[in-house]
Amino acid sequence: MKTNILGIYEDEDVLLHAIDKLQADGIVVADVYSPFPIHGIWSRLKLTTRLPYATFVYGAVGAVAIFMMLYWMSVVSYPLKFGGKPLNTLSFIIIMFVGTIFIGTLLTFLTYLGREKMFPGKQVILPDPRSTEDKFVLVIAKPEDMNDQETKHLMKMLKETGATEIKESTVNDHE
Amino acid sequence: MYNTRVRGILIKGNKTYSDVSRDVLRPLDAPTPIWWWVTAGLAIIAMAWGSWAFYNTISTGIGIWGLNNNVGWGFEIINFVWWIGIGHAGTAFSIFLLILRQKWRTSINRAAEAMTIFAVMAAGLFPLLHMGRIWDGFFIFPYWNTRGPLWDNFNSPLFWDVVAISTYFMASALFWYMGMIPDFATIRESTTSKIKKKIYGAMSFGWIGNAKSWLRFETAALLLGGMAAPLVVSVHSIVSMDFSVSVVPGWHTTIFPPYFVIGAIFSGFGMVLTLMIILRKLYSFKDYVTDGHLDAITRILTFISLIMATAYMTELFTAWYSGSEYELFTFMKNRVTGDYTFAYWTMITCNAIIPQLFWFKAIRKNIAIVFIMSIFINIGMWFERYIIVVTSLSKDFLPATWAGYSPTIIEVAAFVGTIGLFVFGVLAFFRWLPTIAISEVKGVLKETTTLKSFTDEN
Repeated sequence: MKTNILGIYEDEDVLLHAIDKLQADGIVVADVYSPFPIHGIWSRLKLTTRLPYATFVYGAVGAVAIFMMLYWMSVVSYPLKFGGKPLNTLSFIIIMFVGTIFIGTLLTFLTYLGREKMFPGKQVILPDPRSTEDKFVLVIAKPEDMNDQETKHLMKMLKETGATEIKESTVNDHE
Repeated sequence: MYNTRVRGILIKGNKTYSDVSRDVLRPLDAPTPIWWWVTAGLAIIAMAWGSWAFYNTISTGIGIWGLNNNVGWGFEIINFVWWIGIGHAGTAFSIFLLILRQKWRTSINRAAEAMTIFAVMAAGLFPLLHMGRIWDGFFIFPYWNTRGPLWDNFNSPLFWDVVAISTYFMASALFWYMGMIPDFATIRESTTSKIKKKIYGAMSFGWIGNAKSWLRFETAALLLGGMAAPLVVSVHSIVSMDFSVSVVPGWHTTIFPPYFVIGAIFSGFGMVLTLMIILRKLYSFKDYVTDGHLDAITRILTFISLIMATAYMTELFTAWYSGSEYELFTFMKNRVTGDYTFAYWTMITCNAIIPQLFWFKAIRKNIAIVFIMSIFINIGMWFERYIIVVTSLSKDFLPATWAGYSPTIIEVAAFVGTIGLFVFGVLAFFRWLPTIAISEVKGVLKETTTLKSFTDEN
């Protein structure tokens, strides 16, 4: 069974410095659980997201699709004149604008849920439930061949960086 | 790079992170207070009366309203625009202030968004009812039908309205719900009740709150916010085009879209002020929604009120400068003077004059007066819509067709019913959902409480 070593911190600035120190010593910080987003963490853990690109694609495809729909309905399928205005009009822009936002918003939200594998009623177990409350939980994956002495050394290092509590956890993938 | 300077202490009382969750979630665990039952009872009575009006309208037809050939729009459209205006605050608040990185929004945005949702629901009922044959309402969708297929008129502002408002409702609801997901997880992990753990656990969608999920969460929130921000402008612009593309005197002006948008934000902020004063009083949230927060809202209202006053004066000037006698008649003989003088000057007083009292610090600091003034703003904005809808229609080009308008009891009941719906929705939100965005408040807590410079080189 895979084991993780958890360092629990009380303060986000202490945590950020701890990550710097641990990384300088060549220790890989696997993850951090926090009650709110901490902006400094993402660059330190080299995390990125491609969500904005997805949104752009949804918006671009949505705008074109809606224009095609409007054009086909108003010009091709049933060309009906309203008030002497041209069939293919500039005022399509309004439905295109709002429709693009509709498609972009909905698909971005669904993509977000999909990438996070989140759905209504999903059951999860957190390494330490207090990370939704007031604790910052730093996770280091413990290699299988790590002996007791190395483990102790790692725990001591965590203590030095300001962790108020250090423990081992067998929670993996939140199961 | 996402950090802005903070104006001062936002959250008072030297709160710790767990204090924040405890304070915000306390009302969820406490027994339901008496005021809640009383208000909910009144709201349900109002909704019952409103349902009676809806039933009568649908079963008999809109002929039982006080409308006539000339004044074809009355209470329903007034109230529709009024509710939509109120519904602008949530998004204006959270999204504009999110994009402008105003951190003081964090204590207020959740409640403002909830208000948006219920106000838009209340608003949406009126056009549905106004269709007359509500069972044919699905004709509004461009679906494959056996009449041609005959599609919608995509150049009609009324159709744009349907698209814009449903999009606005969906975007606001998603944004609101998404913001609550981490807070639901906080409830899930901290509650001792099994039922609550199940319900809030299901609603938390399995939120874990690790670094990557926060990154995606922040990015998605910013994207949704960025997309919804133009909606705030476009929805009310489109509502204004319901009026301004017609040739009715008083409606056919290019100022309408900005005038409506600013009016919507004005009434929305007015309602946010009303609601936040009530919320912080009932739940003792004075450390979160501080006098400083209310002060910031009143300052914004003062500024918007000046824009409103400018818009009113511009309308009068344009009526005179256009040289059109119909425009001039509508504004000078049928609004400033004439049958609707009371409504017009109530509007001017409530929207352009009373909020100017906020220039005085003593008034901004007196929460009771601020509360009363926020009510006046809501009333003033209702009269603005009344003025726009009724005065222009009642006396247009042909004096032979002039007609007055007064609502029937059915129309009043429908309006009271939507107020009941709104109040009930807000009460449900107060009772069962986290009224302040816990994770967002925690995020700004440290830098704003200790006023330490944020040492983040990101």
